[in-house]
Amino acid sequence: MQADNQNGKRRKDKPLEGVRVVDFTWVRAGPWAARWLATLGAEVIKVEWPENMDMLRLNRFTVPPGVEPGPNSTGQFADTNAGKLGLSINVRHPKGLDAIKSLISVSDVVIENFSSRIMSRWGLGYEELKKLRPDVVYVSMAGFGQTGRQHYFGTMGPAAQALSGLTHLSGLPGEQPAGWGWSYLDDTGGMYGAMCALTALKHRNNTGQGQHVDLSQMITGITLTGSAFLDKSINGRESRRKGYPPGNRTVWPGAPVMNNYRGPIAAPHNAYRTLGGGYNDWCVIACLSDDEWTTLIEVLGSPAWAKDSKFSTLKGRLANQDEMDKGIEEWTSTLAKYELADVCQAAGVRAMPVQSSEDRVENDPQLRHRGMFTEVNHPMLGDWKFQGAPFRLDGNKIAVKGPPPMIGQHTTSIMGDLLGMSNAELLEGYDEGVFWPETTPKFPYVEQAIEEARK
Amino acid sequence: MTSTNTENNLPGPLAGVRVLELTGEHAQFCGKLMADLGADVIKIEPPGGQETRKVGPFLKDEEHLERSLYFWHYNTSKRGLTLDITLPEGQEVFKKLAATATLILESFPAGYLPSIGLGYEALSENNPGLIMCSVTPFGQDGPWRDYKTTDLLHLGAGGQMASSGYDVEDIPDAPPIAPGGGNAWHIASHYAYIGIMGALYHRDFTGEGQYIDVSVHEACSLTTEGAIAIYLSTGDVVRRHTGRHASVDMSPGIQHATNDGGFINTTRSGSNLTPARIKVLASWMDEHGLADDLLDDKYQDLKVVEEAGQHFADVLKNFFANMPLVEAYEGGQELNFPWGAVRTMEEIMGDPHLEDREFFVSVEHPELGQEFTYPGGAAIYNASPWRITRRAPLIGEHNEEILGGELGISKTGLEALQKTGAI
Repeated sequence: MQADNQNGKRRKDKPLEGVRVVDFTWVRAGPWAARWLATLGAEVIKVEWPENMDMLRLNRFTVPPGVEPGPNSTGQFADTNAGKLGLSINVRHPKGLDAIKSLISVSDVVIENFSSRIMSRWGLGYEELKKLRPDVVYVSMAGFGQTGRQHYFGTMGPAAQALSGLTHLSGLPGEQPAGWGWSYLDDTGGMYGAMCALTALKHRNNTGQGQHVDLSQMITGITLTGSAFLDKSINGRESRRKGYPPGNRTVWPGAPVMNNYRGPIAAPHNAYRTLGGGYNDWCVIACLSDDEWTTLIEVLGSPAWAKDSKFSTLKGRLANQDEMDKGIEEWTSTLAKYELADVCQAAGVRAMPVQSSEDRVENDPQLRHRGMFTEVNHPMLGDWKFQGAPFRLDGNKIAVKGPPPMIGQHTTSIMGDLLGMSNAELLEGYDEGVFWPETTPKFPYVEQAIEEARK
Repeated sequence: MTSTNTENNLPGPLAGVRVLELTGEHAQFCGKLMADLGADVIKIEPPGGQETRKVGPFLKDEEHLERSLYFWHYNTSKRGLTLDITLPEGQEVFKKLAATATLILESFPAGYLPSIGLGYEALSENNPGLIMCSVTPFGQDGPWRDYKTTDLLHLGAGGQMASSGYDVEDIPDAPPIAPGGGNAWHIASHYAYIGIMGALYHRDFTGEGQYIDVSVHEACSLTTEGAIAIYLSTGDVVRRHTGRHASVDMSPGIQHATNDGGFINTTRSGSNLTPARIKVLASWMDEHGLADDLLDDKYQDLKVVEEAGQHFADVLKNFFANMPLVEAYEGGQELNFPWGAVRTMEEIMGDPHLEDREFFVSVEHPELGQEFTYPGGAAIYNASPWRITRRAPLIGEHNEEILGGELGISKTGLEALQKTGAI
């Protein structure tokens, strides 16, 4: 186990305080991984170079109106990198590489999501890192991993989802797959990056040893299709089959009754329109037993059609889904989606509103009660809502550690205060293009940091 | 293929962590993640077996509590114990077990365990290092706390459905689509795992345990990538598009049909194409006589490229329509385009890259005298391997080993427990 450097001041809700992470990641999956380490209390240093900017800093879709566009102004970067420190450094400059090596020698975790073997090419592969810091935890997050014949294949979230089998699980039968309407494997790949780092830290506590964890974003997706995998590897079932995937249902009308890998076979089990008829005026309802169906009939007001004995068994409801769903939707169309969910749930029927992003921020009483969003002041975005953790530790809500870094915002403090670099060396680094590209205009806060080093 | 007992006998990274798992669909995946990484996970089921054993698919489609492939997948490397914790005798045994545990992972309705005297306060009294993690639909408090859910309901409320579906041009009346595979529970299990690892890290230094309250709804709500940031930045709500990111704008299609009935998913056209990359792509297309005008010098200007997004998509669509899926996907990857074939299990089985990484794991089922192929781990840990140590437990398979062998309950004691129906 590592020496305890906390002097008994450890907090249950900030367990990683005292852990330092060198974060070479960019775009979404990697930064999301390191973001959770920061949220748990780690000191995460995001390593960047302005000439090869993190794409999320350039995401023009999330610059609020009235905010000056630029790499420090995007909402998507902000939430994805909350609570980190910003270091700008050119690792392809010998002095930059030396400085990064010094930083790694005093850090616990190195995490990156470049294409495979890029870090080795820079002289920062695991064998090198181990020389700098014998018990370092090194997590690499390439699309196909660091080993295997296609290790050099690249992925973005949607491509990884397609290759893993996740995309094919989602959609209506007889149509092309709907897939996932976002990079699920960037969100989830990020979770796994954090999980791998934490798991390896736990192993280090047990043994004093570090290690290299070689994560593959694409393979992560395959591990989430376990039932489908076993149905193929054991039963030989083809997934290109009639009625599959069955949309929001568990079995498509007219198709043979077999499991679709979501959970139990049930009917009703679908999305229905609600009052208003707007783009997201939908609800979802599922009855997992005959009793739940009987309760739903009462909630529907006991219409004659629903009491027909052909609906009284699961088999009958599956065989007559179209008629049943039409009857249910006639009723759901008369109620607003939140009211509908409340009415159903009060009676014990499983129903929820389909919620948009706006709904979750503005209209979701549960997220509001639990304090899902915390406003933190951001230098460009003002008071900004950041997403907290979906768990409480020891009763405490876990909010982000702070705003994201402006690019290179903490370079002088990391190099000076942490690594003991003199002001003269710092200034020389700026002059030689080690800490900021010579041809890129400097932001006022960078100029100011240089000014302070001059004093 | 690697076999259950790897030659590599190093312990997994979570060796020494003992988990009591009392959870079905909500968090059994979290238990599997821990068990395959070396934790001693004891799955506690009610006598007769857990509800999740009734979920298919089943071995050879024969419905049976010991033949659920769903249960098999989610419960690898765990040991199995049956115990009725509603009976006083069962509760006594449970308290003894809890005194030996590092973690209790549970997903009963909020407030249930405290109501029968088995809450965190009671169980940690004699085991201050105990961590308890509750995974419930909405957490332990709030107006929706007692609402009942399913995977579908979470994907509806969590925002997954609002982002997934079809372009109106493709299917005019398509509903929002809940992606398949039971991923609400996966998402919750991932966050539960992170919370637990944080608590374990704290415990390693202080000896202190703690209580963790995980909300499936909050976990799902966190998992729609940019949808929330777009809303917060602009007030706009994203619209659903076939096979690609939901967005505010009408983005060009990226999922294209190939001439053998497959689909290839490309990265959004124009978002990552430099003039040099366009030359590479157009030259490849030109070899097939399908480059259209993409070799034109005007595309050496990024502004023109950005404005021509739809045209690029159209030319690519026509290109892919003239070749088989494998050629489109691997051809693109060899030229450094991060594209993906839409694969099913048929293509994933036997994938040589996965074989190189020893992804396919053979797991022995001694009760059937057979071995079956399971999916491996997402990551390779070079000092503390991931491994499936055993297939999912049979009902009560380890009752005697755990209660007799480890807790020291005598034979007559076990018989008495059996008589009362506690095990």
